[in-house]
Amino acid sequence: MKKIYWSIFAIILVAGIVWMNSGGEEEITASISVAEAMGGGDEEGYLRATGPREFVFPDDHGPHPGFRTEWWYYTGNVFTEEGRHFGYQFTIFRSQLNPPDSLNPSQPFYKGWNTDQLYLGHFAISDVQNENHVFEERYSRGAAGLAGAQVDPYRIWLEDWEILRVDPEETDDKNFPVQLKAKMENGTAIDLTVTPAKPLVLQGENGYDKKGEEEGNASYYLAFTRMDAEGSITINKEKLEVSGSSWMDHEWSTSALDREQEGWDWFSIQLSNGYDLMYYQLRNADGSVSEFTVGSLVDPDGNKVNISPEEVNLDVLDRWESPHSGASYPSKWTLQIPKYNLELDLATLFPDQEMDVSVRYFEGTLSVSGQMDGEEIGGNGFIEMTGYE
Amino acid sequence: MASNSSNLLWLSSLRFLKKHPWHFALSILGVALGVAVVVSIDLSNSSAEKAFQLSTEAVTGKATHQIRGAGENLDESVYRDLRVESGFRNSAPVVEGYARVDGLNRTFQVLGVDPIAEEPFRDYASQRAGIELSEFINGENSGLVAASVAEEIQAEIGDTLQISVGGRGFQIRLIGIIEASDDRSQQALESILLVDVSTAQRLFDMQGELTRIDLILPENSESVQAEIKPLLPEGAEIIRSDSRTETVEQMTRAFEFNLQALSMLALLVGMFLIYNTMTFSVVQRRPLIGRLRALGVTKNEILFTVLKEALLIGALGTVIGIVAGIILAQGLVKLVTQSINDLYFVLSVQELSIGVFPLLKGIVLGIGATLIAAFWPAREASQAEVTTVLKRSSNESKITSRILPLAGYGILGGLAGVGILLIPNGGIAAGYSSLLFMIVGFALITPLFIVGMAKLFRPLLGAINGLIGKMSVRGVVTELSRTSVAIAALAVAIAATVGVGVMVDSFRTTVVSWLEAQLQADVYIQPPSSVTRQADATLELNLVQILKETEGVAEASTVRSVDVRTNYGTDNLVAIDQGAAAKDAFQLKESGPNFWQRYTQEDLVMVSEVYAYRNDVGLGDTLFIDTDAGNQPFVIQAINFDYASDIGTVTISRKIYNQFFDDDAVSGLALYAEEGVEVEALVEQLRERVSGMQEVFIRSNRGLREASIEIFDRTFTVTIVLRMLAILVAFMGVLSALMALQLERARELAVLRANGMTPGQLWNYVISQTGVMGVMAGILSVPLGILMAYILVYVINLRSFGWTLQFMITPEVLIQAVALAIIAALLAGIYPSKKMSEANPADALRNE
Repeated sequence: MKKIYWSIFAIILVAGIVWMNSGGEEEITASISVAEAMGGGDEEGYLRATGPREFVFPDDHGPHPGFRTEWWYYTGNVFTEEGRHFGYQFTIFRSQLNPPDSLNPSQPFYKGWNTDQLYLGHFAISDVQNENHVFEERYSRGAAGLAGAQVDPYRIWLEDWEILRVDPEETDDKNFPVQLKAKMENGTAIDLTVTPAKPLVLQGENGYDKKGEEEGNASYYLAFTRMDAEGSITINKEKLEVSGSSWMDHEWSTSALDREQEGWDWFSIQLSNGYDLMYYQLRNADGSVSEFTVGSLVDPDGNKVNISPEEVNLDVLDRWESPHSGASYPSKWTLQIPKYNLELDLATLFPDQEMDVSVRYFEGTLSVSGQMDGEEIGGNGFIEMTGYE
Repeated sequence: MASNSSNLLWLSSLRFLKKHPWHFALSILGVALGVAVVVSIDLSNSSAEKAFQLSTEAVTGKATHQIRGAGENLDESVYRDLRVESGFRNSAPVVEGYARVDGLNRTFQVLGVDPIAEEPFRDYASQRAGIELSEFINGENSGLVAASVAEEIQAEIGDTLQISVGGRGFQIRLIGIIEASDDRSQQALESILLVDVSTAQRLFDMQGELTRIDLILPENSESVQAEIKPLLPEGAEIIRSDSRTETVEQMTRAFEFNLQALSMLALLVGMFLIYNTMTFSVVQRRPLIGRLRALGVTKNEILFTVLKEALLIGALGTVIGIVAGIILAQGLVKLVTQSINDLYFVLSVQELSIGVFPLLKGIVLGIGATLIAAFWPAREASQAEVTTVLKRSSNESKITSRILPLAGYGILGGLAGVGILLIPNGGIAAGYSSLLFMIVGFALITPLFIVGMAKLFRPLLGAINGLIGKMSVRGVVTELSRTSVAIAALAVAIAATVGVGVMVDSFRTTVVSWLEAQLQADVYIQPPSSVTRQADATLELNLVQILKETEGVAEASTVRSVDVRTNYGTDNLVAIDQGAAAKDAFQLKESGPNFWQRYTQEDLVMVSEVYAYRNDVGLGDTLFIDTDAGNQPFVIQAINFDYASDIGTVTISRKIYNQFFDDDAVSGLALYAEEGVEVEALVEQLRERVSGMQEVFIRSNRGLREASIEIFDRTFTVTIVLRMLAILVAFMGVLSALMALQLERARELAVLRANGMTPGQLWNYVISQTGVMGVMAGILSVPLGILMAYILVYVINLRSFGWTLQFMITPEVLIQAVALAIIAALLAGIYPSKKMSEANPADALRNE
């Protein structure tokens, strides 16, 4: 899960506080803390994730207005034929600006440019060979055709960045495979077709993922933990054919974090033996691990088991201090799950994969090696870290 | 030796000035007046320009180009395609219009934007400036104004503003404050109401449409433009943002040029005044100079001392003139921006911006003209032989012998002026240089005129005032070296007032008679328009229907006025739905065969003479207009008189318009009353029928005419104020020049007193003499003024606007000029007469 979005949402909501105009140059003066972002705000009037629900597809692949936030989150590791390695992140966020029942009665529906939907996009490429991380952030209102999300035909878009269904004739699935298309101002681009390689995973408790003590501090969370990716990456004006694997999260909620939680470390790991591990650790302000930390292990056939924090040993071996923000992020870990005979050495493939956007966070590709059931394994992974200062 | 003797000379110079405080003060006043007028006009002009620049910058932001539609607006899908299909992100949608905010008597520019797209364009409109998106884009009518505006109307964030757009009322919730990075840009924001695109579309009834799309394109943008062009609908175009600004600038250029013209006239008058002052000052001291020369002071020492003195006077006068000019400009700038607001667009900056250039110009004029004016007399005085310098009579006899050659030069100057006028495509500058030559030429002939007039006046005054009358006329001629410069200066100053007065009268007369003919219908209905020459408002169609169907209305016709792009730029296109009846309302200057029969059948247009002049087009030429059906040719088959627009209009029949434009809106409605229906009663009835609907102006023929003339008068307020100013300068000039002249004659008058002239006779003598000079200046100012007016109306006006005006000389203007000269002259005699009649002649004789 990527709760990073909460912070972004909060930023927009309190733009006036966060953005300061100093000498014409805008800068973030104080990155609003994740806890503030997620605990703050008035949830009154929004829909809440209060318990497990029945999912209906393809509708639930589409947007869920009424919930304050939603995202379609793609990460992956792709390689050229020569083995050149790229990590990518491409996410479109949806944010509801006002509670659904707050509509002015004199304006009974939204049309034209009016809207209460705001869309954000984050797109990043990690060029491992050159240790180069490029990223871009975008916004748009979800109106006038500029940005939106729809089920039929399946399309999530923010201007010319889009996630859309491909080859509808060749598949029964109304939604997948999808094409991911995004291009930055500097020309860096991806054009990937991603096809699920395992069934859809309902994370948490049948897709209901509780993140805090308070009622409603939870999300609905769907994932494709393993997808085949194929297409191209354009970087430094060079278009490269690539293939590899991808991971998708689709999550929606209205509020999540409890007051004492300050950030998280989120791992998505695709092991060479066919297993996929998702593990997020919520950190309390006092440095302890929150009891709402959650994980799951998906076997090669797509069967999922949940993992609780007590089953996991996660140790930080090294840290990296960002020259941009001064934040000190972990950069090397050992992760052990004795119950499944799993031991992993994890490290960022290169240190600087910080997303220096409206809210700073770290989203980077990982090197993965270790053992499972005594067998040497490798793999690909992504780490997301928030709330570090 | 140099330092010592020049110090002594300088001291003697200062002593002279100290001994003649009146003369000294009047010299400084002469310089100060000239400088003040030039500086004030320049400052108010440049302030208006600066205000315009800031206002356009605030709205244009950092856009380099913009996409505009063929007609008034652009389909919003263009923006979506640009962003979504081609990913061109340096773009921002804009919906623009005007509104009035209740409680403030001024017009606001409503700027409808998408704050998310604004960051590269306009800092203050970006969501990064703190605009609460959840309140801004959610479909309620919300907006932001500058803090000073909120304060002015005592609104706080969360309050509701009442605004009116083309007569329709809206409520806008104030959700924030817009701020610019610096104070002056902040002022430009004071006329902006910032709203969301969706809100602006509702206010201006533009669902699905944008006014324009702003773009930021790189330096050499041809390839980018080539990528964008295929996305644009038929007729839409990418134009440079500054070309848009230039169009607006062109509109005001003529207006500003006219002010500049007045400032040039003022400068000329100022130079004459300064010249008069300095010449006088030197001539007066010829005996002293002669004595100094006799004592061995060199020519150069004399020259430099005089120039140094001139420098002192010039510097003091300049300083006072600049201060006075700045004070004057404070008032003028408001008038100038008000005129621009009424006519062209909304300017919020009304403050004076004190630029370096106008001040430099003032300094150069003040000091430079003083030095130049002083140089010739000083040189003459210093170069002359000692013995002749001591006698003034030699000087006078010298000028007497020069009267004819001077007149000859004058005639040559005048001819040169005429010659310049004949230069083809001479432009406005040539008009002004010609004017300058003619004025200088006229001034050179002045001594001859004076001598001639003196011959006529002597018997006349002799008859009225006996010996003293004769003497006073004679005095003017015997002291021609002093009097001729003064009289010429006065004549020029007063002529300037005559010239401007006649020009304004000609203008007004022409416009009034044109209006009489133009306004054929009985009742006119218009939506309230925020800016006179901007057809941004339309009438609601159901209102038009109701009005047309009112009892007592025999016939109706409509006009539709839109801005379109043509091969000559952005032009005002007016569609009229009158058939052949239109021929009564439109006065044609030229037309093709059977124009009125053909104009509803063929793709013809009629252009106003201003338009024809500006774009150098005539009958048979083809105008290409960007219509909704693409770029289409229209043949010009008539040229009409139109004094309502100084940028020109293109008129087309509504029937043809509808074939090319998908637009059923109406900008104005004219109704004809049935036979026997009282018009004023009909107006009342119409007002009743539409009360509670869109707020519109329903005016009778007479009412509209009065309103139009009022606007005209308001436009000319600045001109009239400047004319008053010119009159004041002329008045002060006459006063100071003549007073100085008389004061200087203390010795002569003392001799007369010693010879038995009574104080009463002395009064009579002095006043008669200044009066004679005033009359001469007044009389001379009339032909010169008319000449100036002629050039202003037939050359300058024509070359700047292209209007045909009826030349109209009202006796008031002429009488005023002569009266002004005489009154000033008589007043000028009072103080010297009083002083001399009270003084002991013996003292006066001894003193000199």
